[in-house]
Amino acid sequence: MQEDLALLAIDYATKLGAEYVDARLEAHYNELVTAANGKVERAVINQKRGIGIRTLVKGAWGFQSITNLTKAGIKEATNIAFKVAKASSRHVAKPVKLAPAKACRDSYATEVKVDLENIAFEDKLKQFLKWEKRLHTSKNVVRGLIEYTGIKIAKLFVNSEGANIKFVNTLTWATLKADAKKGALTQSYEQTVGHAGGYEIFDKQDTGKVAVETGRKAASLLKAKAAKMEKDATVVLEPNYVALLVHEIVGHPSEADRVLGREAAWAGTTWWGGKIGEKIGSKYCTVYDDPTVPKTFGFYRYDDEGVKAKRKVLIEKGVLKGHMQSRETAAEFGVKPNAGMRAITFEYIPLIRMSNTFFADGDWRYEEMLEETKQGYLVISMKHPSIDDQRYNWTISAQEGYEIKNGELASHLRDVQLTSTAPKFFKSIDAASKKGEIHPLPGCGKGDPMQALYVGNGGPYLRGVATILGAK
Amino acid sequence: MAKALDFEGLGEQIMKIAERQKAEETEAYLVSNKVLTVRLVNNSVFEAKGVHDIGVGIRVLREGGLGFSSTADFTSKSLKKAVKAALDASKTRKLPFKYSFPSPAKPPKVRGVYDTKLAKLPSDKAVDLAYQMVEESLAYNRKIADNAGVFNLVVYHTLVMNTHGLKAKDDGTFFEASLTATAKRGARSSEGAEATAGRSLKELKPKEIGRKAAEMAVSGLKAQPLKEGTYPIILDPEPSAGINGYISFLCSPMIAKLYYPLFLDKLRKKVGSEELTVVDDPLMPKGIGSAPIDEEGIPSQKIAIMEKGVLKNFVYDTFYGALEKKPPTASGARVAFAVGVSSFPGKNYNGEPIPIPRNPYIVPGDWKREEIIGDTKNGLLVKRFHYTRLTNPTRGDFTSVLRMGLYSVKKGEVAGALKKSRLIDNLLGILKNVDAVSDTLTVAGAWGGYAHTPIIRTKAHVAPV
Repeated sequence: MQEDLALLAIDYATKLGAEYVDARLEAHYNELVTAANGKVERAVINQKRGIGIRTLVKGAWGFQSITNLTKAGIKEATNIAFKVAKASSRHVAKPVKLAPAKACRDSYATEVKVDLENIAFEDKLKQFLKWEKRLHTSKNVVRGLIEYTGIKIAKLFVNSEGANIKFVNTLTWATLKADAKKGALTQSYEQTVGHAGGYEIFDKQDTGKVAVETGRKAASLLKAKAAKMEKDATVVLEPNYVALLVHEIVGHPSEADRVLGREAAWAGTTWWGGKIGEKIGSKYCTVYDDPTVPKTFGFYRYDDEGVKAKRKVLIEKGVLKGHMQSRETAAEFGVKPNAGMRAITFEYIPLIRMSNTFFADGDWRYEEMLEETKQGYLVISMKHPSIDDQRYNWTISAQEGYEIKNGELASHLRDVQLTSTAPKFFKSIDAASKKGEIHPLPGCGKGDPMQALYVGNGGPYLRGVATILGAK
Repeated sequence: MAKALDFEGLGEQIMKIAERQKAEETEAYLVSNKVLTVRLVNNSVFEAKGVHDIGVGIRVLREGGLGFSSTADFTSKSLKKAVKAALDASKTRKLPFKYSFPSPAKPPKVRGVYDTKLAKLPSDKAVDLAYQMVEESLAYNRKIADNAGVFNLVVYHTLVMNTHGLKAKDDGTFFEASLTATAKRGARSSEGAEATAGRSLKELKPKEIGRKAAEMAVSGLKAQPLKEGTYPIILDPEPSAGINGYISFLCSPMIAKLYYPLFLDKLRKKVGSEELTVVDDPLMPKGIGSAPIDEEGIPSQKIAIMEKGVLKNFVYDTFYGALEKKPPTASGARVAFAVGVSSFPGKNYNGEPIPIPRNPYIVPGDWKREEIIGDTKNGLLVKRFHYTRLTNPTRGDFTSVLRMGLYSVKKGEVAGALKKSRLIDNLLGILKNVDAVSDTLTVAGAWGGYAHTPIIRTKAHVAPV
């Protein structure tokens, strides 16, 4: 990495008069493969390197990114970042203040056993085609799809306070999807295999077996019953479904910028602004955001402001405890910054993002949760969400479900969709299983321009109450 | 930024490198995409940020295989590496059909897609224009407590070159501007929003955006709860553009095949009402998605997507055209699908072309907006969709949060604002129930997706939140 160029941006912006400046110098290597029905539809390799320079001038932010990594390029970009910050400062009601943070110096990397670039692209493509073939478990599986992504990022963060952090991150994942059809009925199933690490994940999680299971599940849904509308049903939510639920109704509203109304023009605000310390859920409602969990999509030791990462307690035994913070929002809330800032590439200004947000484990065995449910539904695996702007009312579809009758699984269900409000659901949680899971969510969107980021989400099995929406 | 790059020279260099590496055909798509974003929050300018993304997407054909790679590094070493990566990718991506990059053809002239004044707008002026939205909203009414919004200014230059001698340029400018205002009275609060986009500085009316957002916010302070039911709903430009967005998305053969198969088996079948005709017209002067060429360099053309409710055509780039034995419809667009890869407004070199309509719109009907309202006895007027999703892409289950700008219509008049609600229905049902289309196109949208659109009336189930 050309550290001197990043330091040049810091020096130059400081000389221009910036109160604070940071720079992220990054090199990206990305692979993307889409294979469907025996053919490779897309095979892409992207490479990019560049720098993003963020300045704080008279209490206003300015930012400029470039790929022209020359001294002249850096100076020009720094000038622009300074100039736009200065122009913005004329319309700032409350100048930005940053909460103090230790200027850390460190160098670390995600643990990788098999480097993405050590396997020939050609060999990878052959393997994906093999796995895609395994999705076709019966003649009813009419479409198979595998989408692979490999990302390697080498980044250097420096700031005007002396921070200097190097991080090499690798993420590898594949989403497998099967569409099954019989007559007019089409059903789909998809699963994602992935982690922060190298290509070894595909052996570790036996991707060939996952492919077969995905194909079988899609075909089995053709025989399943369509879910029917039922108000306030008892639902047992499986960890993969919990992953999307916690993402949408705890993760996003816990972003402090959102609490402050700064996302109002985009995804919205939150319903729990000003409610820290209030009881909003049952004793089983504990949620953390934790970037320190190795191998997960949300893993990092320092965020994109150079703040050292630690576990954040968002909700504890039903009490709203805190939010994800940047240095700026931490100053406004009067709390310590907790390393919530990330950007997908050097081209973007960082935003407050989830890392790994998950419900805490409970003290129930999954089997017990079922046995003690007389009448209800087991809801399995995330599909599509639609959440209101305050993250209050939610609707999330699932890939499959089962009726629970007298403590046992009964009919298999398709077209399952749940709806409720966040506080009603939080208060209804009366059981959480012992062993939670963190699942990779590769496409969390936020910001303008939009930044699609990888995060981890999950939890244990949860039992609560929600309304089942019948298929429309 | 620094000295402008010689795109033609770089294109030639890539062709030569690829020829040396034994590529049979090569295509280079060179992009310079400059974006300035001014974000407004809490009645202030929150940040001003810029990106100047310059790079190249390279496609190669060798021994019946097609490969792609991209790079933002124009050193000779990096270009060689990028060409090699594309050739590596081509090795197992063997095409079971004949495929070749497009031949050169004279592109048409499309008016109003590049505006020097917008391209040269100084950043401090851009910040001031963005802030005018806030000032106007605050000035509209004392009840306006907060404003948040964005102004994106995009200037792009592209050049596509290929082995067949195709060499086609596309230069463009556009802006996107939106504001969400919050009104407060006592414990009550209500939001209003307005958003538009355009190709020239002349089309930017920040004060109008601020006023309309504030008007909607204030009108919502008296909102009453909605009674759950199935209503005739009048979709104003933003939600109508949302429906148009889904229609155009679903008529991409790639998207239909891989992700959202709702229209997959419905070609030449009825998917909407008689009132619904949809075209893709990238030749439209000042069109928000207009350009003389698509992103493979093929001259733009107008395509019928839906005629009187019948799905007439999917749209094709050269790859999907060859795959499905259809002529390309100049619908190749480069979209970065990958997570972790930048995808700014404007042009993108990180993705391969995919088939997608470029300037699609619902063709205006013969109703005036007032006539549609006047003709509605007991219905709803919807001004904004929020978090709209096909929750079941095979069946068409469709939902959207009616976060703001929801009004009841009684006996032909807008009767008053309603509280936040949720639309839950089926997209095919919504399309089949369209019974009125207004006679005027407006540019509307939100958060990165804008289109020309009329107002439509349909029927849908709506429940309070």
